[in-house]
Amino acid sequence: MRYARIGALAGAVVLVAAACSSGSTAAPGGSAAADKGTLKVGVTLPLSGGSAADGQPTMKGAQLAVDQANEAGGIGGYKLELLPLDHAVNGKYNEQQGAQDMQTFAGDAAVIGVVGPYNSAVGKVQIPISNDAGLTQCSPANTNEALTKPEFGALDFRKNYPERINYIRVAATDDIQGPAMATYAFEKLGLKNLLIVDDVTTFGKGVADNFQKKWEELGGTVADRVGAGPDTTDFNGIITAAKGKNPDGVYYGGVVTSGAGLLLKQMRQQGLNIPFTGPDGIVNGPGDAEGSLIGIAGKDNAAGSYGTLAAIGDFPGKADFTAAFEEHFKGDADFNTPGAYSGPAYACATVILKSLEEFLKASPDADQAAIREGVRAWASDPSHSFETVLGTESFDANGDTTLPFISFFTVDPAAKDGIGDWVFKEQINFGSQ
Amino acid sequence: MTTIAPAAPPSALERFQGLHLGPYLFTLGFAFVAYLVIGPEQFVNALTIGAIYALVAIGYTMVYGIIELINFAHGDVFMVGAFCSMFVLTEVLGQDGPIHDPVTLAVVLFIDFAVTMLVLGVLGMAIERFAYRPLRNAPRLAPLITAIGVSFILQNVIQIIYGPSPINTPQIIDPNVRVEILGISIGWVNIFVIVTAVVLMIVLQLVVGRTKIGRAMRSTAQDRQAAQLMGVDINRTIAITFLIGSALAGAAGVVQGLYFGNIQFTLGFQAGLKAFTAAVLGGIGNITGAALGGFLIGFVEVTAAALGFFVWGQAAVFAVLIITLVFRPAGLLGQQLGERT
Repeated sequence: MRYARIGALAGAVVLVAAACSSGSTAAPGGSAAADKGTLKVGVTLPLSGGSAADGQPTMKGAQLAVDQANEAGGIGGYKLELLPLDHAVNGKYNEQQGAQDMQTFAGDAAVIGVVGPYNSAVGKVQIPISNDAGLTQCSPANTNEALTKPEFGALDFRKNYPERINYIRVAATDDIQGPAMATYAFEKLGLKNLLIVDDVTTFGKGVADNFQKKWEELGGTVADRVGAGPDTTDFNGIITAAKGKNPDGVYYGGVVTSGAGLLLKQMRQQGLNIPFTGPDGIVNGPGDAEGSLIGIAGKDNAAGSYGTLAAIGDFPGKADFTAAFEEHFKGDADFNTPGAYSGPAYACATVILKSLEEFLKASPDADQAAIREGVRAWASDPSHSFETVLGTESFDANGDTTLPFISFFTVDPAAKDGIGDWVFKEQINFGSQ
Repeated sequence: MTTIAPAAPPSALERFQGLHLGPYLFTLGFAFVAYLVIGPEQFVNALTIGAIYALVAIGYTMVYGIIELINFAHGDVFMVGAFCSMFVLTEVLGQDGPIHDPVTLAVVLFIDFAVTMLVLGVLGMAIERFAYRPLRNAPRLAPLITAIGVSFILQNVIQIIYGPSPINTPQIIDPNVRVEILGISIGWVNIFVIVTAVVLMIVLQLVVGRTKIGRAMRSTAQDRQAAQLMGVDINRTIAITFLIGSALAGAAGVVQGLYFGNIQFTLGFQAGLKAFTAAVLGGIGNITGAALGGFLIGFVEVTAAALGFFVWGQAAVFAVLIITLVFRPAGLLGQQLGERT
């Protein structure tokens, strides 16, 4: 019995080897190089449940880039494969699952780079693992400043190799995103006295602190500052307490799975019809998307909501990108239009694939470990720049984008044939300041 | 307890002590202090959320009282109640928003409550029949683990059917309609939740205190074997206890949906934990105690929120539990149960 099993295993190995060799002889594509096998691009995002509205369109951004690379014949003789792992547990992002997934990527020598994560708290547990493994990680959406900037404690996340930058991101940071909304709310919306609620997570509290600091500098007052954990469902106590202090607006630091939609809904129920503002965590898709702010609060309740995106909202190639995305995913029942972070995820995948291409040009016969390190070294080099869908992207010595755009969105209940959606208002490039 | 001279007639103070009003006065005093601290509108919030906790807590306490099982699946029974109510409202009655005609509203509410409570009562009986009864004479740990297993089964079944995201449920009582009472603006839905809970609790007290089945429940709780010898059908009595407890959890699920308008399959865990705390706080096994405990927890939570310590709300709930248990290890009303606890 035992020997039979070993025999079967050996047979399987032979089969795989045969499949590989036959693959190399029948290599399609126009490139002259032979098919050397498959390399993987990991995707680490929360993809299910209430997080699907965030994760799925983002994942598909990366998928589009990988599929296009394969259609063009692969890169340097390699085929590419997308390896998405979902770290949503019960529909919410889960740090432990995120850490496990990153271990899986690190342990798979064929993974040359990872797109993700979405939530900064997940970034905090993943970066030490990917840093040890020397695995490139490009986040389309992480905004917490501590992940990259040494003055905010980034070195704690890359203790073993502090000089080895493996984590890069195309999103702007919360020390930009929070203050940007503060300025917008104060100057454009004319708000003066705010209720500030955060979800006491890495991201939510961080962005709310940054917001509040700038808000007070501008001369705004804070009616109440409250932390309400991500399991909160009853915000009525907070709302009633704040009502006595006559706030003229609300800033929510957090994400929708933490309760942004419920807070907004209960505010409107208590007759508090004041603008609702927040970071990118609240801008998560149209009214019919599963778990979206507009869906939970109701489109009419969601009117008067303003959110930021830590990414360029109106990028030069947006129309082409949207068309390509919709063409590619037109057979899918859900999430067949780009989300807020589809473009950035596409750009992240582009950066990883471009680095792979450049590295393989210089050393075409490198083994998988060398490829992984080569991609990391190329992508994180501040002197390199990448032509991406977001513009000419490059990364500073910490791995932060040199294109820190903040875009402003508002809810239009009539958009998308009356189901309600976020519509773009304006964008500001904070890199030039 | 205390040494009383046998001949002396009871003084006024002793007669007062004999009434055992302490726990009620404590709760009233606590409510009064909370009222002064948080103001009338927050007080209504606290009563509303406390009413939901109280309804769930009663189910915990009834089951513990009769078979000494901490029914960890009870929070999830409550969650199933919320989903059942949503199913009745949307799929059976075709409702998707507020109903403004009072007659229609009353009819829809009646059907919703009747169907949900009946379905949940049967569910509770089924859980007892298939998960707990076979283990009734097994070591204590076995039914406890089974209860946790039932909890996971209920969660996963609802997750498979409705998905893991929070979903909206119709708020047929328009949550934006408010009335002015003594200068305080109160939502109709708040009043409805509180009144429903109080009415259900009064009916329950009457059932337990005045009916034959109530007497059977009390005698089974006191001494199962003796009750059996006296001709009480133990299996039937325990099944009816589960029926009533689960039906109340179903009613709590209905009002949860009406009040928040948004439900999720994980709802039961948090609510169950708090209701269990309420049951222990009030003295587990004691129905009035569970109701008092539920309201107390509502007050603690909302007071924490009103004072700007929202994030400490849960810690405050458990701090109150620990302090109470230090001074009254059997809970607020636990003493009246004698050796049971």
